[in-house]
Amino acid sequence: MTTTRTGWRIGIDVGGTFNDFVAAENGTGKRVFFKEPSVPSDPSLAVERGIGGLLARAGIAASDVELVMHGTTLALNSILQRNGPRLGMVVSRGNRDVLEIARSRMPSAFDFTAKRETPLIPRNLVFEVNARCLSNGEIVHRPDEAELDRLADEIRAADLKAVAVMLINSFRHPELEQLVAEGLRKRLGELPVTESASIWPEMREYERGLLAGLNAYIQPLMKSYFDRLESRMRGLGLTAPIFITTNNGGTVSLQTARARPIDTVLSGPAAGVVASVKMAPADLRDHLVTLDMGGTSTDMAVVMGGEPEYTQLAQVGIFPIILPVVAVTAIGAGGGSAVWIDAQGILKIGPESVGSDPGPICYGRGGERVAITDCYLTSGILDPTTFLGGRMQLAKEPAVEGLRKLARALNLDVANPAEEAAAAALKVATAKMAVELSKMLARRGLDHRQFALVAFGGAGATHATLLAEEARLEKVVIPLAPGTFCALGASLADIRRDFARSLGVLLTPAGDGFSRVADAITDMMKESLAWIAGETDSGAALSFRVKADMRFADQAYELEIFVPEAMREQLDGAALLELFHAEHERLYGFADRAASVRVSTVRLAIAALNETQVERVLETGTAQSSGTRKVYHKGEWVDAALFRRADLRSGFAVSGPAIVEQDDTTVWIIPGWQATVEPHGNLVLVPDDKTA
Amino acid sequence: MIPDSTTLEILRYKTVAAAEEMGLTLVRSARTIYIKEVADFSTAIAGVNGKFFAYPEALGVSAFVDLDLNPSFKDIGPLKPGDVILSNLPYANGGLSTHLPDLQFIKPYFHEGEIVAYGWTFAHTSDIGGGVPSSISPRFSDVYQEGLQIPPVKIVHEGRMDEGILRIYLSNCRSPETNLGDVKAMLAALDKGGQRIADVIAAHGAEALVASQTMLAEYAADKAKAVLKRIPNGTYEFWDYLDHDFVSQVPVRIRCKVTVKDGAIDLDYEGTDPQLMSAFNVPTEGLRHPYLTLRLMHMITSHDPSAPLNHGLMDTITAKAPKGTLINPEYPAACGVRHATVMRLIDVASGALHKADPSLVPAAGGGTVLPVVLAEPDPVTGLRRSMVIQSIVCGSGARDGSDGVDGRESGLSNTRNSPIERTEDEAGVMIEEYALRSDSGGPGRWRGGTGIVYTIRILKDDCAVLARGLERFFFTPWGASGGRSSAPCRVVLNIGRPDEKQLNRVDMLEVKRGDTLTLMTPGGGGFGDPFTRPIEEVSYDVERGFVSEASAERDYGVVIRKGSVDQDATAKLRGAHQASEGFDFGQNRKLWETVFDDELVTRLNRTLTRFPASIRGRKRRSIYEDVVPELKAEGHFNIADMAGRAETLRAKLADLVAALEAQETRA
Repeated sequence: MTTTRTGWRIGIDVGGTFNDFVAAENGTGKRVFFKEPSVPSDPSLAVERGIGGLLARAGIAASDVELVMHGTTLALNSILQRNGPRLGMVVSRGNRDVLEIARSRMPSAFDFTAKRETPLIPRNLVFEVNARCLSNGEIVHRPDEAELDRLADEIRAADLKAVAVMLINSFRHPELEQLVAEGLRKRLGELPVTESASIWPEMREYERGLLAGLNAYIQPLMKSYFDRLESRMRGLGLTAPIFITTNNGGTVSLQTARARPIDTVLSGPAAGVVASVKMAPADLRDHLVTLDMGGTSTDMAVVMGGEPEYTQLAQVGIFPIILPVVAVTAIGAGGGSAVWIDAQGILKIGPESVGSDPGPICYGRGGERVAITDCYLTSGILDPTTFLGGRMQLAKEPAVEGLRKLARALNLDVANPAEEAAAAALKVATAKMAVELSKMLARRGLDHRQFALVAFGGAGATHATLLAEEARLEKVVIPLAPGTFCALGASLADIRRDFARSLGVLLTPAGDGFSRVADAITDMMKESLAWIAGETDSGAALSFRVKADMRFADQAYELEIFVPEAMREQLDGAALLELFHAEHERLYGFADRAASVRVSTVRLAIAALNETQVERVLETGTAQSSGTRKVYHKGEWVDAALFRRADLRSGFAVSGPAIVEQDDTTVWIIPGWQATVEPHGNLVLVPDDKTA
Repeated sequence: MIPDSTTLEILRYKTVAAAEEMGLTLVRSARTIYIKEVADFSTAIAGVNGKFFAYPEALGVSAFVDLDLNPSFKDIGPLKPGDVILSNLPYANGGLSTHLPDLQFIKPYFHEGEIVAYGWTFAHTSDIGGGVPSSISPRFSDVYQEGLQIPPVKIVHEGRMDEGILRIYLSNCRSPETNLGDVKAMLAALDKGGQRIADVIAAHGAEALVASQTMLAEYAADKAKAVLKRIPNGTYEFWDYLDHDFVSQVPVRIRCKVTVKDGAIDLDYEGTDPQLMSAFNVPTEGLRHPYLTLRLMHMITSHDPSAPLNHGLMDTITAKAPKGTLINPEYPAACGVRHATVMRLIDVASGALHKADPSLVPAAGGGTVLPVVLAEPDPVTGLRRSMVIQSIVCGSGARDGSDGVDGRESGLSNTRNSPIERTEDEAGVMIEEYALRSDSGGPGRWRGGTGIVYTIRILKDDCAVLARGLERFFFTPWGASGGRSSAPCRVVLNIGRPDEKQLNRVDMLEVKRGDTLTLMTPGGGGFGDPFTRPIEEVSYDVERGFVSEASAERDYGVVIRKGSVDQDATAKLRGAHQASEGFDFGQNRKLWETVFDDELVTRLNRTLTRFPASIRGRKRRSIYEDVVPELKAEGHFNIADMAGRAETLRAKLADLVAALEAQETRA
């Protein structure tokens, strides 16, 4: 990836309703945004149209584009809708039910009507083979040619479109799994065969097998999508390389994405977090909470030390994804969350969403259930004529009527019943979001006061000060274009991939046993360098992050130990142990340096850094209010000063109540908060009593 | 200020989140496997009445919503800010704990000198001393053998740790460092709850917080009542069995009479067997203990998931467990393995509710959960170390409108399993099979979920397998409304080899290198007449291997040959079938009750209450063994033989009961 050449980069985020496009010129910081409605039947068509529109708006030629970075939810949706091909799995004898048993948990301990998930592959398409090794690699059963013939016959008879192979203990000893896969390839010709260890060689047969299965499941769809996308791009005259955004907040080449589409399934929320890290004011990047609030879902994430946080506990629907994924917490409140009253007369928010079709009452598409967006509108926070830059007219009167009905059911006998009901609903929704935020920080033992909230998505900026006030966060950042923030994040992503080796090595207190850890790191370095050479020849700076999962030999809980980059080269057993003991001491207040320590998994992430400079520096200047709007806030009407985001210049400051309208969202600045435009274009909001 | 309905909803979010943040804090800093992996802990916030008004929705143990803190305050004196109460002795804390490894901590939360709430947390800690590592054995006969007994004491006085108590405690554990970590984690959780309660007071006022405690309970009660009113008025009696008490061959019976009047429910456990001389007792201390009412709570939360989790749910429910029975034993009865009995308590309440309205609850689940433990020699010390290699579960019962869940059940615990690869990485075993157990789900219009097959091959010398608390070998999980009972539990050593051996219980089984041990857990009971199950559903099950062709024909009347349904043969079979209805308890129970019927057993148990609780169990056992001497030693009892002599034996039992009734009180 080039960092010196000037040129344009395009970021694309494909969503359910809209595709967002960003073109950013390297060096000048110029940015152009574009939205194009999705075409569910042919998603790449919308991308083709959108790029056309974007190039026209930016006034540039296809040849001016040096890089295209693309995020898509296609793979995610395919898994959620279960519309993939007929897939089979081969397992060691005795493990036919690995997908049926899964991790043996029920979705709820309080609900005996809850069911388990429908497995990705039904039991009758899971085939046992007489192939088994132990955890030390000793082969107990090696399939002979006749056994492989029998297996191939069974698979042929089942009329499969793809097959995944997962043998017990292949995470450490993949040879037997490879032998079976090769045997099948030889016998079955074109049928795609995926080995579990080649996708992610980590201990835990269910999760590893599932990943291989999911990869095989989405591969045909994604391959054909990427093929069409590429040919449409080339048809537009774009010769720039195309990269696809990934779960870990990075990107990979089309070639890698075709081989490993599973790496792209959770890229959507990750891109917004990446954009937050890269676009938030530098002095705030160490402690961010991101809020991506859209029509139907709201995602929050924690950023510490300028790095997104990664998790291996993510899920796609009901399926666990043990790949490193940017950690995002989905909460059950968005613009589309239903507002209703239960039999006891208590006002409830969600968990149902009215979705985008019919959507909230004010969308005028026949929706009859009040949603949070109706509350914004009724309170005056949104203007029916300027929503989404006036692209979508909202119907205010029906929304107000809907809230009036709720007010009656709540026995609200007040002067402004609809507005009071809207205020009550926003209060409950805000409390619900705030406790989720608080729990998210508690899980990590963090203090909310250090954190700034970066709000984006269609409704993030609208709700941000309400949430920050309730959650007692003392800073809010609204980026320049919150509605297309994920597309921007895509254009800013590094080329990145994760690698892992499950070792199960015992380190003595003296550090003996380390050589296998060192070998694993060397091995992963080699593999990662070979991979990155196939992705880019730009000579971009590389970064390596090494981590180890470690625990006391006689304990069940693991700590994730990060090896600082400066130590990586000279790392030895003693140094690694000391990192572990120090972390244990930090968390638990003591260290047992005489005990043996087990290194279960070593991980490495390689990144070719994207050093694009896209931070536009705004000129300083002031702006005129375009008028005022009455907003019902905390039981009274307040006059909010109105501004257009496009008019705001660096250094501009305003006190709430104020509203900043822009084409992709509305920023609501509540009384008691001040907003300032900082030179890079972010709107930074701070409570009055915290301003310097 | 009394909160309005919107503020009440906000207070609900905040207080539940406070309880959840306590749990998150505990998990973050605790060290025990029971907290980290098995999630055997909980946190909650109690109101000034000592009952929980805020309980986590998806964190830790779900069963304890209705615990009562008040007995813990009885002998503790006035509470001051910064105090923390510790206890673990069920007989002294009103059944707050039900076995000793569960450490209980309570902290009063003050505002301006007044208590406004209490934080509570418990965790199953690694060890509390006693006769075996990890402190639990079914063979223990009293609580002294089970470890250190701690009545409610202040472990922290106004913020100062009582180092003396702490030292006594740590000196009594085999893993003091781990336990100390857990104690600190629980104290940190209580502090977190206190901070959050202070935040709530700062935002809404102490008066609103205290008022919300009652209002939230009333809110829950109202929702619960709407569900409970669906139960028709009447009286419903049901009983069910544990195979035995582990130290004898005599079955154990739990009996319940449920009386329903307009949504008010009374559970009366009279007629339940006397307390046991093993560790299966459940100390409920004469209260409406959560373990006695668990099925009702699950029924409420299943039918209305929006109901707030607090004691108000149980507002119209009363429960009576007679003193001296195994579900309300007298001190010092052992109670380490009480979870095996609790599984049966769920079945008993379920069965009675079924009689009221079959659509309310599922048929019996597989009814046994347990950790399978391997003891193997440590390569360095040569001493045996034990590790949990799998949490074994069964299938769930079917219910009206849905099949049971295959290989999973969440009635009591809802923990993750251990991957084969992790087990093999850490223990000298190979897991040859881990699968759903075909034909183990009770046949029915709605099929019971299948059980599990788990086969362990031993790869090292000098190992032992412990699977204590495995149940339902003898009395199978029942089917309902014409549904059939499911396959019993089976355990086989060296299956398919000449030295194959069936086992009827597993305590500590010594195994040799190369041996295999196969555990087959029961499925859940079926619901509705299996011959009315649609043919395509039966054929789907056969295609996927959950049901064999033989069972499809025998149990469902569906004839499948080489994968396709023989319509004519099926129609013929189904046409000749006589509709089945009611409960199916399985053959063994039917035969057992030809001698030990409800009338005599209930009379016997009632008469036994005249004797001191400590000797009732022995008296009962000797009567059973007098009637059926083959029960005296393992492996001699044959139910068919007994049933063949039913008339004689029943007469003998009747004589013995009558003689006992005639005896002077406290003879």
